[in-house]
Amino acid sequence: MKVLSKAKLEAALNKLSDRNEVFVPMQKGQQSGYFTWKSFENGQDELMLDALNVYQSPKNAVLPQTEKMYSIKSQGVEVNIDQTYEDAHPTIIFGARGCDVKGIIAMDDVFLTRGYEDSFYKARRSGNTIIANACYEPGANCFCNAMEVNSLEPVGADVILRDAGDGYVWEVKSDKGEAVTALIADLLEEKEAKLPEVKPFIQKVDYSGVAEKLKSMFDHPLWDKLSQPCINCGMCTYVCPSCYCFDIQVKMWGEEGYRFRAWDSCMFEEYSREAGGGNPRGASKERFRQRFLHKLEFFKERYGTPLCTGCGRCIIVCPTDINIVRIIDAVKEAEINA
Amino acid sequence: MPDQDHKCTCSEQPLVPTIVEVIDIIDRTPDVKSFFVRNVDGNGVPFQVAPGQCGMVSHLPIGEAMISCTWQEEQEYLEFAIKRVGLLTDELHQIEVGQKIGVRGPYGNGFPVDACKGRDMVFIAGGIGLAPLRSFIKYCFKNRADYGKITILYGSRSKADLCFKEELFELWPQETNTEVFVTIDNAQADWDGHVGFVPSYMEEVNPSSQGAIAVVCGPPIMIKFVLQSLEKMGYNDDQVITTLEMRMKCGIGKCGRCNIGSEFICLDGPVYYLKQLRDLPPEW
Amino acid sequence: MKEITNKVQAIAAKLFEEGKIDVFLAWEKGELNFKTKSYVARNALDVKNIVFDEYSIYNVSNSLLKFRDSHERIGIAVKGCDSRGIVRLLEDLQIKRDRLYIVGIPCPGMKDPLAAARNHGGFSKKQEEDGLAKKCLDCIQPNPVIYDELVGPEQSPRQQGDRFARVKEIEQMSADERYKFWEDTFSTCIRCYACRQVCVACDCRTCIFDEMKPQWVGRENSSTDNMMYHLVKHSHMAGRCIECGECERVCPVNIPLMLLNRKLIKDVGTLFGGPEAGMQYVEGSKPPLSVYRENDPDSFL
Ligand SMILES: Cc1cc2nc3c(=O)[nH]c(=O)nc-3n(C[C@H](O)[C@H](O)[C@H](O)COP(=O)(O)OP(=O)(O)OC[C@H]3O[C@@H](n4cnc5c(N)ncnc54)[C@H](O)[C@@H]3O)c2cc1C
Ligand code: SF4
Ligand code: SF4
Ligand code: SF4
Ligand code: SF4
Ligand code: SF4
Ligand code: FES
Repeated sequence: MKVLSKAKLEAALNKLSDRNEVFVPMQKGQQSGYFTWKSFENGQDELMLDALNVYQSPKNAVLPQTEKMYSIKSQGVEVNIDQTYEDAHPTIIFGARGCDVKGIIAMDDVFLTRGYEDSFYKARRSGNTIIANACYEPGANCFCNAMEVNSLEPVGADVILRDAGDGYVWEVKSDKGEAVTALIADLLEEKEAKLPEVKPFIQKVDYSGVAEKLKSMFDHPLWDKLSQPCINCGMCTYVCPSCYCFDIQVKMWGEEGYRFRAWDSCMFEEYSREAGGGNPRGASKERFRQRFLHKLEFFKERYGTPLCTGCGRCIIVCPTDINIVRIIDAVKEAEINA
Repeated sequence: MPDQDHKCTCSEQPLVPTIVEVIDIIDRTPDVKSFFVRNVDGNGVPFQVAPGQCGMVSHLPIGEAMISCTWQEEQEYLEFAIKRVGLLTDELHQIEVGQKIGVRGPYGNGFPVDACKGRDMVFIAGGIGLAPLRSFIKYCFKNRADYGKITILYGSRSKADLCFKEELFELWPQETNTEVFVTIDNAQADWDGHVGFVPSYMEEVNPSSQGAIAVVCGPPIMIKFVLQSLEKMGYNDDQVITTLEMRMKCGIGKCGRCNIGSEFICLDGPVYYLKQLRDLPPEW
Repeated sequence: MKEITNKVQAIAAKLFEEGKIDVFLAWEKGELNFKTKSYVARNALDVKNIVFDEYSIYNVSNSLLKFRDSHERIGIAVKGCDSRGIVRLLEDLQIKRDRLYIVGIPCPGMKDPLAAARNHGGFSKKQEEDGLAKKCLDCIQPNPVIYDELVGPEQSPRQQGDRFARVKEIEQMSADERYKFWEDTFSTCIRCYACRQVCVACDCRTCIFDEMKPQWVGRENSSTDNMMYHLVKHSHMAGRCIECGECERVCPVNIPLMLLNRKLIKDVGTLFGGPEAGMQYVEGSKPPLSVYRENDPDSFL
């Protein structure tokens, strides 16, 4: 098998960075997320490939938090769009866990199917290669196995890395994977490596039947109780590898400017506010319910898979301890005729 | 009801508007104007719209809003009737003929014009809600033989707020087998027509539910009471069609905000049979 | 603290039994030792879920915002910082004093459940210290400033030294250095608005950042828009921030938000004098920046 020894990891990242923007999990100052290898500062930043995961997911690489769409020039009655900013420059997400790979595959469903292909997403995704990092030892909040993710064989990865102690087994899964492998062929060795033992999941989650059951639980009293502590901050949606909602806005300086999109969150009141001030999801509970129903029911109905990938991030960061696993449990246990 | 085979008639860049020219602007009421747009080269329209479909209209330096195309006149123009309510619509009301603006579309499923063939049609609208219905009404008149009796019931706050007055009072009443009923909320000196809300007027007029299809559009509160009245009058859920309005940004089922349950109203709607709505979470 | 929990439970139970309250706001335990979160007890049976332990750090006065438009009579357990939040809400007329029965708890200092969750979650390679939370080490007011009943012995402030030391250091920087410092500090903000949502002093019904007409602050995740967000938010906090430290505690990218808050506390203190925000409740009184007087200082404008 092909192996990239850890001693050669930096060399490989350097080489890949010649022609690609390479997003790597790292601790950068106070931030923990995927940042470009070129921005890595020796001595200050820390590579996090051997940690379970990082707080900010890699979705930024294909759906940047702020993304320019097209230029606007406006003079009197004339307006022009001189340029659109589809960006297909080559990018590599290096070391994404299965849950985060699934987040991107779910976004592929949203942006590339159902009649319209989003040209901006399509461009970024076409230039994007995913090198996944298989998980052998799930963490305290991981439950991807319950959310249709195989953390050992992430679907959609172009290359899969397997941490074998002093090196990564390098498994090519697609043509895109072949192409990036060619870039570092001289750094890979052909040898045997012993794969780690697969540890069991700590979280025991049973999602089966939840989407179907939720169909009749829209008005269930459990939402009042579950949503009580939530402050509708939006942190859970921004760290989530699969939340994709966006807003479209414009920035002008005099006659010139551009339109851009920016992440939005169903947790925000402004998100669904309508003309005349009405809002179908004006109350905290209604927004809370939207988030969890979208994740656990609506997305499954529309695209055949849940929009939660079981990464556990929101469970760790939520300031009021809202825990999606406990919500799944509560739905399972709920009596319906209430 | 997600439609997996939605035929893509859109451009390669669905979120990027096409620039068109505003060739005419008509004041419909003190706060509603019609904007007529055509390709900048003077030839044709940027896309073909079916009755009930919408376009995302943008004044580029300001913003975009989803607006029903109230009429497409062949290759001549697209007409959008726009009520002034906020940031973008305020600015649009300031522009003059000759201004270039952006549009993208067509969006939404549109009215089931074929499925309604052969039926008596009852159109019930309030305020700016007549704008989307008007595309269907005009389509019926254009294909008059395909539809049975046509009843139009329309109300607004005051006489001045009635949209499309010429059509309401002069053109439509002259069509064969057609009745038009107009009401305003409160009595006023120069009005000798009906006074009262749409739902109660509708019960008075009492258009027969026998073989009829009712199409309803207006402010949420009106829709709510009209639906109750229709039920009383014997209309089944598959005889009632309405259009939903949710906050929209992308118009193509991507940005997330317009959903009700697993339906994205911009893409799968905005037109629904009441029967379909009954299966959705009660957020409409 | 078990003792305090028992007392609070007993008080809440009594209030429910006497029909004096409809809800009681406090904390409850989650499934793990460090998980303590805000809780609303709705009847005497719920009371057994109430806890006060070393992780009861969440500022429960924020939970009152969900009740500002309703009429329930509310019992609430508060630490020092939480009680200052109540004063702010009373001053801003967000809730009426006679709807509240306040059980004050002098606070021995709390640990941060978020830090514990991070240690437990396995995303970081270094373990964070599990001592008292930073906000509690900086606390100047552990004892409730407003209450109907006090539970437990008074505590002395834990804050040591000059709490404006770092602020003064930054004031010494040149204007350019300072600009760069703040720009860098805010560049990593992901605009999740958790700092706003968790803040009891951010009690405006329609927040300026949600206004679209006009749109005051752009939505881009750029250093300009981020700076704008923070400058506007923090200046709205001038004379209102009760120094509860919740914003900084919950920030997912660890932005030192208290630095700017303290700068404003210091400036408002120097310019207007008087007690700091939420330190005492005098019916009808207003914080300095909520009233305009001819002779207000304006050197900072
Ligand atoms: C399918 C559909 C068809 C529509 N057809 C028409 C039409 O034919 N004629 C017409 O005048 N209007 C129509 N509208 C409503 C129109 O989209 C809004 O009035 C418009 O977006 C307001 O934009 P603004 O920038 O002027 O207002 P803003 O300043 O953005 O907002 C004013 C208020 O309107 C809200 N708002 C913004 N966008 C929408 C929206 N898409 N739907 C509801 N509320 C919104 C804001 O939250 C705010 O409360 C339609 C809406 C939908 C969804
Ligand atoms: S669930 Fe938690 S993180 Fe998400 S909005 Fe609510 S309080 Fe914030
Ligand atoms: S909802 Fe939470 S656990 Fe699920 S994918 Fe998103 S952040 Fe991860
Ligand atoms: S609706 Fe909410 S949960 Fe769903 S993707 Fe958008 S932000 Fe995430
Ligand atoms: S909590 Fe932190 S990241 Fe979120 S908006 Fe506030 S400062 Fe920015
Ligand atoms: S700004 Fe921060 S410290 Fe001040 S009151 Fe708000 S949450 Fe507390
Ligand atoms: S408007 Fe964006 S999904 Fe419907």
